[in-house]
Amino acid sequence: MGKLTIAGRTFDSRLLVGTGKFSSPQVMAKALAASGAEIVTVALRRVDIDNPADDTLREIDQDRFLLLPNTSGARTAEEAIRLARLARAATGIEWLKLEVTPDPYYLLPCPVETLKAAEILVKEGFVVLPYINADPILAKRLQDVGTATVMPLGSPIGSNQGLKTRASLEIIIEQSTVPVVVDAGLGLPSHVAEAMEIGADAVLVNTAIATAGDPVEMAVAFKLAVEAGRKACVAGPRAPQRTAEASSPLTGFLRE
Amino acid sequence: MKSLKVNGVERRFDPDEMPGTLSALLDALGVGANAVVAEVDGRIVRRDEFHRTELQDGQQIELIKLMGGG
Amino acid sequence: MNQQSAISNQQSIGSILGDHRLDADRGSWDQRLREVTSRDVEAALASRPGSYNQEKLLALISPAAEGYLEQMARISRSLTVQRFGRAMRLYAPVYLSSYCVNRCQYCGFNHDNEFARARLSVQEAVAEAEILAAEGYRDILLVSSEDRAFITVAYLTELARRLRDKFSFISIEIFQLSQAEYGQLANAGIQGCTLYQETYDRTVYARYHLGGPKADYDRRLRAFDDMGRAGMRELGLGVLLGLADWRVETLALAEHASYLMRRYWQSRVSFSFPRLRPACGVPSTEFPHLLSDRNLVQMMLALRLCFADAGIVLSTREPAWLRDHLIELAVTRISAGSRTSPGGYTDPNAHTGQFDVNDSRSPSEVVAAIKSKGFDPVWKDWDGALW
Repeated sequence: MGKLTIAGRTFDSRLLVGTGKFSSPQVMAKALAASGAEIVTVALRRVDIDNPADDTLREIDQDRFLLLPNTSGARTAEEAIRLARLARAATGIEWLKLEVTPDPYYLLPCPVETLKAAEILVKEGFVVLPYINADPILAKRLQDVGTATVMPLGSPIGSNQGLKTRASLEIIIEQSTVPVVVDAGLGLPSHVAEAMEIGADAVLVNTAIATAGDPVEMAVAFKLAVEAGRKACVAGPRAPQRTAEASSPLTGFLRE
Repeated sequence: MKSLKVNGVERRFDPDEMPGTLSALLDALGVGANAVVAEVDGRIVRRDEFHRTELQDGQQIELIKLMGGG
Repeated sequence: MNQQSAISNQQSIGSILGDHRLDADRGSWDQRLREVTSRDVEAALASRPGSYNQEKLLALISPAAEGYLEQMARISRSLTVQRFGRAMRLYAPVYLSSYCVNRCQYCGFNHDNEFARARLSVQEAVAEAEILAAEGYRDILLVSSEDRAFITVAYLTELARRLRDKFSFISIEIFQLSQAEYGQLANAGIQGCTLYQETYDRTVYARYHLGGPKADYDRRLRAFDDMGRAGMRELGLGVLLGLADWRVETLALAEHASYLMRRYWQSRVSFSFPRLRPACGVPSTEFPHLLSDRNLVQMMLALRLCFADAGIVLSTREPAWLRDHLIELAVTRISAGSRTSPGGYTDPNAHTGQFDVNDSRSPSEVVAAIKSKGFDPVWKDWDGALW
């Protein structure tokens, strides 16, 4: 099946998991463990001075998981760059999920600010994983500036709608020269299986696991779905057949 | 009275009670330094530099940490 | 991620071909081709149409696939119509010069051949083009042998400037230029460039290219990188079919195309299929790799099934009856009424042509044939007047 390779590092798991929205850090930790994920995203926020004890990070074993800080909350390239530098200063980690989402309703990423920030951050030595709408041209532009992956959305964050952008995802997957990580809107294990079947290199899931009735069991379900989808993709699925038009033979003119 | 703006909120101190360093500020606020990074007037300060970073009246300080997110 | 991207993004095409043994030591491919089974072919046909991987193409060009041509043809036609609609672009070539410094053994314009050479001034070339414009062409291909002394970048940019308001698409099929020169031509409005590697087999290449700048295989291979970096919109690839084993040449061609599509994603790749026809009196034993019509069809269909968006170009080298059948299988661009000598539209008998035209029908006859197959002959693909 092959390992996932991002920026020269290899991983067995093709499921990335976010750490937000869990009912407690302890549940989060158990779900992460059950998911088999090796890369988990974290966010940067102001310390809550009134409740400084909240320490999600303590529950994440950094020997086991690669932390992938995101720039969620950034609405412009400048804000994203500031968050990126803060994240690196906080952790020493150079990997970054670049998220620039000026729209508060759907949290859709801004292509212009994302490309601007990506170019600067790559030059500053960050390993940039940009979150984008499923825009094949934008994906090519980001690869040109040197991002380590592209992360096109399946549907808006938290909407659990699955691969609404499937047609565009297929184009991105076909044309991409870096790993494609489908992120956002993956609400069910069948969604991630579908993403893997069409050739995605990995998926990122947060809301669907964190807000499930039993997050630990749901994490296992997603893990299995990613594996199933990947196996199917590698096994060479048959494309759906259309009925052939009845017509006279096209190659009859070739003599035996 | 001296003041510092911490995470957008102005905090006042008697002149001799204002924390002299970032470390002291975190102690005063009861904030653990784990995975915290600071900005002082827009300049990033790493955790291992907190004890050496002296604070001045009127500075803007952001205390930022890693938390759960997608 | 595209499966082909498992290889380093920094690897050159020369290195890729070397790794796959497509430029030398090709012997192992014979056995691999023989070992392809019906099941492999069926799996290839069942995979997503229009996407490339080497295993799939290997199956489709194998001897085992020869019994599947009808099925390949159906998929190819369906895919071509889906991606390109029923439009068939018409173009015509204008030969600018038959002077050449290269000594390519298969070519009528070989430096060592003795015949009266000809070259057109810019004004004469414009006159040729105007004849074509009057016929309705809006897509023109400027062709020249390696006559660098006369056919200069200044000549070509001047010619492009004068043809811009008559033609919406101007492309070239001439000797290799540098990246900077391609850039100048692109800025002058030349949007496409066709350049045949002739053969990807280094030994065969050396055998047929005895002298002149074209004798350098690696330099030739680099040309498309220069074009891509210079911003050429359309890149026309091809091999001279008959110099070496067509099946292995197809594999090499596909690797080159795939590489260019990844590296120069803003350019479109197309394939041409010039088929070697030995001159009168030359025994066919001289050329053990000549293609049958069947082979040609299989090659075209296999490439279409692997490259949904590549242009497939057909010239008048092929006879009329074959072209008419190929029109509905995979072709997207076709020439008609071609003259292959400089000044050939003004006076067909004045000068020697590069190759014999086997479809000598007039444009209107070809148009009628295209329409009878249910396709729409298109003279003008898009309006280039904005630049």
